[in-house]
Amino acid sequence: MEYKTTLTTCTYCGCGCNFYLETLDGKLTNTIPCKTSPVNEGKLCIKGWNVHQFVQNDRRLKKPLLRKGGELVEVEWEEALAYTADRLKAVTAEKGGDAVGFLASAKVTNEENYLLQKFARAAIGTNNVDHCARL
Amino acid sequence: MTNGVAELENTDTIFIIGSNTATAHPLVATRIFRALEKGAKLVVADPRKNQIAEFADLYLQHKPGSDVTLLNGMMKVILDQGLQDQAFIDANTEEFDGFKALIDGVDLDACAAATGLTVDGIEQAAALYAKAGTASIVYCMGITQHTNGVDNVKSLANLSMVTGNIGRESTGVNPLRGQNNVQGACDMGGLPNVLTGYQPVTLGAASKKFADAWGVDELPTQIGLTIPEMLSGIEEEKVHALWVMGENPVVSDPDADHVVKALEKVDLLIVQDIFLTPTARLADVVLPGCSFAEKDGTFVNTERRITRVRKAVEPVGESKADWEIIRDVSNAFGFEMAYDSPEEIFTEIAELTPSYGGVSYGRLEGDGIQWPCPTPEHPGTPFLHKDGRFTRGKGLFHAIEYKGPAEVVDAEYPLWMTTGRVYAHYHTGTMTRNSVALDREIPEGFLEIHPEDAAAIGVCDGHRVRLASRRGEIETRVSITERVEKGVVFMPFHFEEANVNKLTNPSFDPIAKIPELKVCAVAVEKI
Amino acid sequence: MIETIKQHVAGLLTEKKIAGFLGLIEKNGHVAPHLFKDGESLAGFTLGDRKTAGDARYPLNKTLVTLSRAYPEETFGVLVRGCDERGLYGLFRLNQLTEDRVIPVGFSCPAELSEACECRKPYPDSLVAGEKTESSQLKKVAEMDGKDLARRFDFWTAQFVKCVKCYGCRDVCPMCFCKECSLECEDLVAKGDLPVEVPVFHLTRAMHMADRCVDCGLCDEACPSDIPLRLLYKKTAQIMDTDYGFTSGLNKNERSPLSQMGPAK
Repeated sequence: MEYKTTLTTCTYCGCGCNFYLETLDGKLTNTIPCKTSPVNEGKLCIKGWNVHQFVQNDRRLKKPLLRKGGELVEVEWEEALAYTADRLKAVTAEKGGDAVGFLASAKVTNEENYLLQKFARAAIGTNNVDHCARL
Repeated sequence: MTNGVAELENTDTIFIIGSNTATAHPLVATRIFRALEKGAKLVVADPRKNQIAEFADLYLQHKPGSDVTLLNGMMKVILDQGLQDQAFIDANTEEFDGFKALIDGVDLDACAAATGLTVDGIEQAAALYAKAGTASIVYCMGITQHTNGVDNVKSLANLSMVTGNIGRESTGVNPLRGQNNVQGACDMGGLPNVLTGYQPVTLGAASKKFADAWGVDELPTQIGLTIPEMLSGIEEEKVHALWVMGENPVVSDPDADHVVKALEKVDLLIVQDIFLTPTARLADVVLPGCSFAEKDGTFVNTERRITRVRKAVEPVGESKADWEIIRDVSNAFGFEMAYDSPEEIFTEIAELTPSYGGVSYGRLEGDGIQWPCPTPEHPGTPFLHKDGRFTRGKGLFHAIEYKGPAEVVDAEYPLWMTTGRVYAHYHTGTMTRNSVALDREIPEGFLEIHPEDAAAIGVCDGHRVRLASRRGEIETRVSITERVEKGVVFMPFHFEEANVNKLTNPSFDPIAKIPELKVCAVAVEKI
Repeated sequence: MIETIKQHVAGLLTEKKIAGFLGLIEKNGHVAPHLFKDGESLAGFTLGDRKTAGDARYPLNKTLVTLSRAYPEETFGVLVRGCDERGLYGLFRLNQLTEDRVIPVGFSCPAELSEACECRKPYPDSLVAGEKTESSQLKKVAEMDGKDLARRFDFWTAQFVKCVKCYGCRDVCPMCFCKECSLECEDLVAKGDLPVEVPVFHLTRAMHMADRCVDCGLCDEACPSDIPLRLLYKKTAQIMDTDYGFTSGLNKNERSPLSQMGPAK
């Protein structure tokens, strides 16, 4: 029996509400707004109250997919990573770093956005980095 | 936001323009409701009478895209009646004279005609805002998603400076960030012109600092491409590979059919996401990332507050945290990244980013920290530009002339259309439509239309219609309501099967490159 | 008070009378619901008082129902105030929890909290720590009743129209456990964009609360629009008390008159 509450920050709008994700034996069971958060003071909107529902949804992607013969098929990580890196190498070698574009994301963490732009700028050599700040 | 969310509670007048606050930012609405309980005045300007407008002392239903005219009109009233804060203007701003010359030439009757409001309404709004002890402006995408979005924002800055409503508690110009970490993505250099903390890529010193830290000889110093430029770059065969992390441009971007064509054309499309989104379906390779609940990290909210994201459950299947995926691709590519945890990455960010310099995971326990926070002793910054000290030195007035929207109604496309969110869904619906309770709440898209327009095309509530613009057409059902004026229709953009972004206009602001999602011309017919 | 409770709980855990104790813990600079499984982890135990008494309370009974459904053979301890214990009695009566699988660990609320809540019984029967605090009078309901009908109607309409339809009042409620909820039934409450259908949404919920609400006030605290829901439910509870002599959870074995068939007693 493992019951846990994990304090975290909402993934929806820019309010940045804090809540506890409640888990029992590795399954998300509920969302409970954090009473002592200076942002939301124990309150949430309908999206926040139900934020745990999509996480372990059956339709989540569970393995990398690679287009083979026109179809996306499941492959192992090793193959997907090698494919991605090789194709990026080929494009950069042939057309230069500015032939690659990167869409960072307002959904992922700071650390992840930082790494993507670092990869774009330092490894590929392009400033073609943008995200949906305008949408 | 220049100011914190909680500060809104103690504001004397709140001016909301282009924000459906109660729906899109309910926990900001909380503070506005509390301010009203304390006797605050509320002015709401929006082409659609949304929920928060029900509580307004003054509601202005101005025409889509006429924001600059409304704001210039308000400032005309302020200057004519001597309601400006001349001491603040003299001490803290520049270029007031040029701005004043433009405003002096504004004709209020013409403003009223262009906005569809009355002169009296504009005068009342000006008085409510300018006469308040503290006044806050709250805005959202209704202001920015226009071909003159930057002009709109500059006009709001003018309004705050002309009345000295900036740099004090419970005042300010407060854009509500639509996405949980859009602030963080910008802070982290997820933009074509800046590195972390808005250090310009064109600045030699910054570029050198990052190059040294990252162990490369040099970094590119030419400003990169924005999303619309990347898409046209694909068509022009300048861009050959695109890596999309956690975004769904097929549903979120304007002129969706055009986006699909570009993504089909690009040689290499890498998509990193948690579901097989319409964008991921076009990819050559899909890398399964994991959600916020399955990893550690940090987000930054609309008031610049950095808070922790903590892992609650193991990633589903073989999905991986997005930072692990980037690290692994980078290593396979031959650029070594040796991170073992997000905290390690954060430490590197803090070292390279002055405004994050004093932030560490340890300090984020409790309430989090609002940047700028340059040193470990610094408490963080609840509101910016304290005592009129602006980032650039003095606040700069801009003389802004009104420019209309890129597309206007005509005989063929006679209705103005604007788009937005509904309370139970979020953006392209990737997460909310995969949540049982939210999907049950609002399972499908709809078009809001005024009763007279509905009668003219012969539809009742719930009937299906075909909706067309110069770029495409979709089918949906109608919801008849007086929330929208005659001649204006509204549609939420969460629903891929009735993707309103097949219709929206990709014309964009020349500076911010933000598309005009909030105004286009459409025709509606009964099916 | 807190040390007495810790000792008591440590005893229950050591003697294996319970599989775990559901209470509150200080972590990450905040107060969180927590399942304590051994005496040592009790170091971070807290009663949920931060700036003011009882300002960091959580719906522990709701979590207890989840735990009990997954582990029906286990016995759990749970931290209770007066209202929480009334909730437990209600949940026993409605067959959501089994009485002999729950060991309540009770403590009393301070007078200031009792007064702020206008609590009828600010202490549990299973009092492990604290004194029996005096009950408080229902002043706010009387105050509202003193206004004429038109003003009351205007007041509530103005409150309801603020609703952002988060369903938080229901989702936080330890007494709401139905699999199908009337609030989501389109034949009762119209669906569509905000604001919600006024006053049907809130009055439907108020009716359902009449013989359920244990007056814990968590709904009030969870409402993003600061709608005084507790006041509304206090009124329906008062009607139940006046007309039927029933208050939810006040007497352990008493069944709601609304769930009994046949002539009135």
